[in-house]
Amino acid sequence: MPKISSLLIANRGEIALRVIRACKELGIRSISVYSDDDNRSIHVKRADETYRLGPPQAAESYLRIDKIIEIAKSSGADAIHPGYGFLSENEVFSDECKKNGIIFIGPTARTMELAGDKMKCKEIMKKADVPTAPGSDGVVDDIELAVEIAKEAVYPVMLKSAFGGGGRGIRLVNNEKELRQEFELASNESQAAFGKSALFIEKYLTNIRHIEFQLIRDSSGNGRHLFERECSIQRRHQKLIEMSPSPVVNKERREKVGEIAVRASTALDYLNAGTAEFLADAEGNFYFIEINARLQVEHPITEIVTGKDLVKLQIHVAQGEELPFKQQDIELKGSAIECRINSEDPFYDFAPSVGYVPNCNIPSGPGVRVDTYLYPGCNVSGYYDSLIAKLITYGGDFNEARIRMKNALSEFTIEGINTTIPIHKTMIEESNFINGNISTDYIEKNNIIEKMKHKRDQEYKDKAYAAISGILLQSEFVKKSYLAHRINKSKESTDGGFY
Amino acid sequence: MEFQIEGNNNKINAELIYNRGSGDLLFVIDDQKYNLKLLKSTSNEFEFILGNTYHYVKILPSTETKYKIFIDGIIIEIKKHSKITEIIEKTLKSKGIANQANNITSQIPGRVVKVSVSNGDKIKEGDPIVVLESMKMQIAIKSHKDGTIRTIKVKEGSTVSRNEIVAIID
Repeated sequence: MPKISSLLIANRGEIALRVIRACKELGIRSISVYSDDDNRSIHVKRADETYRLGPPQAAESYLRIDKIIEIAKSSGADAIHPGYGFLSENEVFSDECKKNGIIFIGPTARTMELAGDKMKCKEIMKKADVPTAPGSDGVVDDIELAVEIAKEAVYPVMLKSAFGGGGRGIRLVNNEKELRQEFELASNESQAAFGKSALFIEKYLTNIRHIEFQLIRDSSGNGRHLFERECSIQRRHQKLIEMSPSPVVNKERREKVGEIAVRASTALDYLNAGTAEFLADAEGNFYFIEINARLQVEHPITEIVTGKDLVKLQIHVAQGEELPFKQQDIELKGSAIECRINSEDPFYDFAPSVGYVPNCNIPSGPGVRVDTYLYPGCNVSGYYDSLIAKLITYGGDFNEARIRMKNALSEFTIEGINTTIPIHKTMIEESNFINGNISTDYIEKNNIIEKMKHKRDQEYKDKAYAAISGILLQSEFVKKSYLAHRINKSKESTDGGFY
Repeated sequence: MEFQIEGNNNKINAELIYNRGSGDLLFVIDDQKYNLKLLKSTSNEFEFILGNTYHYVKILPSTETKYKIFIDGIIIEIKKHSKITEIIEKTLKSKGIANQANNITSQIPGRVVKVSVSNGDKIKEGDPIVVLESMKMQIAIKSHKDGTIRTIKVKEGSTVSRNEIVAIID
């Protein structure tokens, strides 16, 4: 396979910048694409070349497979990196790249298709001896069969519609009586909405953690895992804080589950970087949920604790190179945490907050990495995902990383928009969080929103005198400049200061 | 002058006592003296050391009586109390034009996925008026006060831009 010399990034924001940086390190010409709402964005400024895709709406820009392929061909790109989101898990796109002789940096269309079909994927995993959440193997039509499966999985169980998504069509069932009632209701509901009943049963796991394993596999079939990331701190199934290593994974378990994750990637004949997601219960059982066939948002924490550059590895693997290390060569050093900074107002039910950012201060210092598209004078668009920055800190152990995170959060100021920084400031000082006692319902269970509001009131108190001083300074300024203007009408202006 | 921090009933009294003209000022806040060293100033931005702590303050577009202040990375809203502002507030209220409070505007651009009210509906503060989709999320635009819907300015499926009026209430 030929070496990649030009690479098109079919994405925007911080991930586009991340890939541009990898290209620069490898001496690859970087090509970015942009929508009309992004023409001053960082990926336009930093890439070697940049091309317009179309109007702001993603469907008319970053999701336009035909346009992107056309630009790749006319600009002479050998490869396309899809980033995450947009077309990153689109098998048609992967296939189109292949047809046009362009290397797609990611898995094949066939693998994506399998990874995207939850039921089919579960079947493959069962064959490969990968533990999945107890429940039905597929759609259950018959109530008696449902009762039998639920008994085996042990109540409570969840009744899910195969067509549901984002929490819709899910019913929690505590016993056989409830199951019989709910099965009929859910079945009718599904019939009405989709024309067929397609229910399946899964064990309801309480006090669960979300733990995932980073994978990478080359075209010669060498698969490696780069340890785990714990992503249990979530809000409505959206990850907020990630860490590596997980406080509940020791060396033995890491090796064991890591080996299972590699087996899962082999079963799908996986190519390039991906992530095997698991749910872990309080007893330490791991259940496979799905494979994310892309580079994850939270990949930097793995890069930091393993010392491996995942984006560069992706490019090497896409060029047909073999992975340059064996499993036992990979070492886990220290601890890393990532806080996702979203342009959302945590005090107003996380409503999107968009617009001009006149100024910002990006934290730095020992053990701090920030992946962001922000710069003073940039614009945060309402057309795309709300992730504006990833604040990552590193330390010799979790607590060092955590304290560095606390300090970095206080350095991080973004003017003009609301962000999730306040919730992170609250989380990072939570005693259960510090002790590693976390689960996916942490934010609700521990009243984090209330605590955040309380913290804000305290901050108001701390800053009140200084803020009032500012008001008094301004009125003094207005008075002085008015007087100066009257007295020195013919002399120079006093704009820009009154002393 | 008296000030009040958003969400807190305590009043804070603050006055500028003197201005030596070299950047050294003296304030009295809640009966305590504070030295302030002004480092840099423009018409709405001030960098200073109050006591022994550095601060950066930016006065954001504010109304006569309510200041919105960006300070050291957070935003605080502060109300100014004085005889004059009391009179202004009273006059505005009697004329029913306080803060153009009858317009419900969208703080974000997005697509209208649902209109939750009809003309003539009685609504309470916090009631959702329309639901917008933006950044892959659904967000309700809520009323900031009690009232009756006079006009709805948007339809399901239409797009709204930032600060666009979605409804007018009486």
